[in-house]
Amino acid sequence: MTVPFLISQVSSPEIIDRIPGAYDHFVLPFCIGMVFCLCWLGVGLVRVLANLSSSDRKDLLLSFLNPKILWKDIKDIFCDCLLHLKIWQRKPLLGYMHSAIALGWFLLIVLGHLEVWLFAPRHLYLDNGALFYPIFYRYFIWMNPGHTTLRGSLFFFLMDLCLLYVLSGIALAVFKRFRSKLLGMKHTTKPSLMDRVALYSLWGIFPLRLLAESFTADLAGGSFLTLPANALLRYLFGENLYFLPWWWAYSICLGLFFVSLPFTRYMHILTEPLLIVMRNAGIKVRHPRKGFAEAEIYACSSCGLCLDACPMNVQKKNLRFSSVYFIRFLRRHNEKKINRIADKCLQCGKCLALCPVGVDSPAIRRRQRAAGNDPLPFDYSALKSPVPAGGEGKVMYFAGCMSHLTPRIIKAVLEVFRKAGEEFVFADEDGGICCGRPLMLAGKDRAAREVIEANRKMILESGCTTLVLSCPICLKVFREEYNLDGIEILHYTEYMDRLASRGRIIIDRKAVSYVYHDPCELGRGCGIYDAPRRLVEASGELRKAGKEGDESVCCGGSLGSLTLNYEDRGKITAGALENLLANNPDRIVTACPLCLKTFSDATPGVPVVDIAELVAGDTV
Amino acid sequence: MAKNIIVIGGGPAGLEASARLDALGYTVFLVERDNHLGGHLALWDRLFPSGDPAEPVLRGLVSKTGSTKILLESEVQTLNRLGKSFRISLSSGVSVIADAVLLTTGFDLFDASKKEEYGYGIYDHVVTNADIESYFRTGKDPRIDNPERIGIVHCVGSRDEKAGCRNCSKVCCATAVKQACELKAKFPKAKVYCFYMDLRMFGRGYEDLYLKAQKEYGVRFIRGRVSEVSEKIDKTLQVKAEDTLSSTPLKVSLDLLVLMAGMRPSKSGSKVAKMIRLDTGEDGYLSVADGFTGMQATTIPGLFVAGAATGPKTLPETLAEARAASALIHDYLKG
Amino acid sequence: MIDFGFHITPSGTLNLDDVDQKTVDTLSRADYGFRTCIACGSCTASCPAGVFSETSVRQAILSVLNGKDEKALRLLSSCMLCGKCLMVCPRGINTRHLILSLQKQFEG
Repeated sequence: MTVPFLISQVSSPEIIDRIPGAYDHFVLPFCIGMVFCLCWLGVGLVRVLANLSSSDRKDLLLSFLNPKILWKDIKDIFCDCLLHLKIWQRKPLLGYMHSAIALGWFLLIVLGHLEVWLFAPRHLYLDNGALFYPIFYRYFIWMNPGHTTLRGSLFFFLMDLCLLYVLSGIALAVFKRFRSKLLGMKHTTKPSLMDRVALYSLWGIFPLRLLAESFTADLAGGSFLTLPANALLRYLFGENLYFLPWWWAYSICLGLFFVSLPFTRYMHILTEPLLIVMRNAGIKVRHPRKGFAEAEIYACSSCGLCLDACPMNVQKKNLRFSSVYFIRFLRRHNEKKINRIADKCLQCGKCLALCPVGVDSPAIRRRQRAAGNDPLPFDYSALKSPVPAGGEGKVMYFAGCMSHLTPRIIKAVLEVFRKAGEEFVFADEDGGICCGRPLMLAGKDRAAREVIEANRKMILESGCTTLVLSCPICLKVFREEYNLDGIEILHYTEYMDRLASRGRIIIDRKAVSYVYHDPCELGRGCGIYDAPRRLVEASGELRKAGKEGDESVCCGGSLGSLTLNYEDRGKITAGALENLLANNPDRIVTACPLCLKTFSDATPGVPVVDIAELVAGDTV
Repeated sequence: MAKNIIVIGGGPAGLEASARLDALGYTVFLVERDNHLGGHLALWDRLFPSGDPAEPVLRGLVSKTGSTKILLESEVQTLNRLGKSFRISLSSGVSVIADAVLLTTGFDLFDASKKEEYGYGIYDHVVTNADIESYFRTGKDPRIDNPERIGIVHCVGSRDEKAGCRNCSKVCCATAVKQACELKAKFPKAKVYCFYMDLRMFGRGYEDLYLKAQKEYGVRFIRGRVSEVSEKIDKTLQVKAEDTLSSTPLKVSLDLLVLMAGMRPSKSGSKVAKMIRLDTGEDGYLSVADGFTGMQATTIPGLFVAGAATGPKTLPETLAEARAASALIHDYLKG
Repeated sequence: MIDFGFHITPSGTLNLDDVDQKTVDTLSRADYGFRTCIACGSCTASCPAGVFSETSVRQAILSVLNGKDEKALRLLSSCMLCGKCLMVCPRGINTRHLILSLQKQFEG
């Protein structure tokens, strides 16, 4: 051990290089791991970018020049990757755990580099150990006890504070691994072998760092954590502490983590910023495996929150169709399983709503379906969409296929039109062309384009100014794919809410309690949560469901699934009903023909009604 | 001392069994939750295949009950075993100890409003088979207004997985053809269509009824299940179905649509079965000891079943089962 | 073709011996709806595409069972997968899956 012979002097600098040359062999494991990881990431990044379409690449480039998007990038990365606000909002303890590890580690790195920049700036050059010096700073320096400043003490304090912050997160993580339920997760995923290697090394990194820095704290300085620990160690092992093995262990742990990282779920730490940047640039999934999808796949943290979210979790055998496993098999290129999982999904979007990373696995599944189904034949040459007469400047009502199976919705909507004195045309009174959404859900995109075009032409030629829809499935595709410039597209709940707020209809409140079921395509699909609730509250008492809003449970009738049989759908319906009846409402009210029919068929014990019926019935 | 027997359900099966057991000298308690006897039979106007009125049949059944103690408006609160005997307590406050129990809890009519697409309870001119019978008994129903085009939909809530009922309800086909004839007789100018999936005219005289409907009443039978009904502004109904025999989708305008609501397991019957821990099958009907030789017995000694409580049955079958159950109970109590 | 002044028309009888049972079996395994259809016609009657051109799941199933693959495909070419047939089927057949399986079998 080389102990500097310099006598402490105020005139000498605060920090003095303890090791001439600022190198020791123990940094090698870390350096190898880091270089390997960086190379891997570099290649991966190039692959992702190379597989983007040229227009997507252009959009990505332009997004960096747009200050608005750039600001959003920075904000999102800070909030999602470091603070983990999304997890905080749902499960505070889990959120604390993630932010402690992510933000704490990030701060350790930033502060560590800042310290080096302030006290030993020459080591920030690559030829002077920039790769490892800031990481193992405390090993290489000797603190001049005769020259302590407030600035130096502040850093010692901050570094210890951050370390404590990270350690508290790690402690929670260890605890979670064994008792996940206490942190609010019912289901959790099993880590693979590589995941375990990375996990245990991640667990090891920070306690070892504490030990290593504690061992050298008398030489290199420390604060409230490392100095007392150092005193304790000296009390236990004597004055001459043999500290090198701990620095070796710390470095090995770091190296192991970085070498295993590319093959584990912890890739999400590094991929998430890329995903955020690409998403903010407006890039969409075009291929189920390549380009943007690859960024999504590697950004999945495999946390398993989607297991609790998936409505199929009412049956244990169907848990394997959850998003986390879909992404896992995509990473492993298990084609057979990928296809089965892709086809089974209900496309309710709850996993996306709850995903802390925002991996749009429903979209990837649709791309996967398209790979098989888009080439399938179709011939829509005979389809005709007659333009309804006299629609100029009026409201057009488009009921959609499913509403024709729930005539009470159509009848109620028409009655509200009449009571409000609205002039309207009924576009598909005698049946019409499907909106195209079911085709898109099945991955038949070319076919969907054709029916969309046919309907679009009919609507534009009718001259109507407002389009009122009663099916949320239609609504989503009309809003996202139709490009009906100058025509306002409204779900009837929005339309009726507007009628009520403008006093065109007056709803009489009755002494009945309701629970409102958020249809997937209306809530998570189109973000409409408040208008229906205002209408329900106007006609009676609105009670809460067990889970609602963006956490509402799919009714089980969704057209999203291609393979789910009706027995399994029945189980999902039963689960959804149990959630709705949590607070004993008199009635269940919903705003989607498919949900209405699915729930009524299941005989829930309380009447199931549609909001349109409420409004039509209670309007005076 | 005469032994006590409780018969739960005052429909045809309960009445017939009570009469037989009373004649055999037992003390019979007939428990009925409604305020009248006869069950669905009391709501029916005429019976297939002959078209004889239901009322005299019911009157005959009631008149033979003899000294049976009839407990109306009595719902079963508890039913449990007490050694070899049974203890029952009723909502009326009465409780009885009996040596044997016969469940004749019958069936419920399928709630036709559950088939959303047919518009029962939503459209002005959609009725059920029970509404038609009530119309013929009372002569009043605002929904039936001199119809010129009448449609009858078979299998509403039967043979339908979506309605939670896989089984055939057995009696609706014959009822539909009977009602088609009756409606045609009542409204001679009307055109009557029957929409069926399979026409199950299995009993004696049923085929004759079918023939009569075709030959004398000119009922048009269309092999296709109605999939959708919509209402026009003038309140006429438009019905969509496929004529599967000619592979043509068709639509037809109607002034009246009659839904043949099928049989569902009785809800109150299932409740009673649960009290005594009698199993129900996957279809919801009460389980019997043996599907061939033990149709009236259950796995619980002293507990017997008869009639539509164990599956859809016609009236003659129900009455025959009631008599069979009586004989079986007699054997049980004697031995 | 030489015109002989008369035509020999193929027999109208369907010979089940000639139907390739392998295809039927493969499809039935992919979706048991091919076996459980009771030909009630609900799907055909509710089909929005059926208004414009002959579209029928019921007939397509029968066509497959009778070895008329091309007819089956033609009967479903206008299908928009809207799911109405799925909702009305009394046998609970997953019609959309059945249709996609059929199209994949013969065209995929």
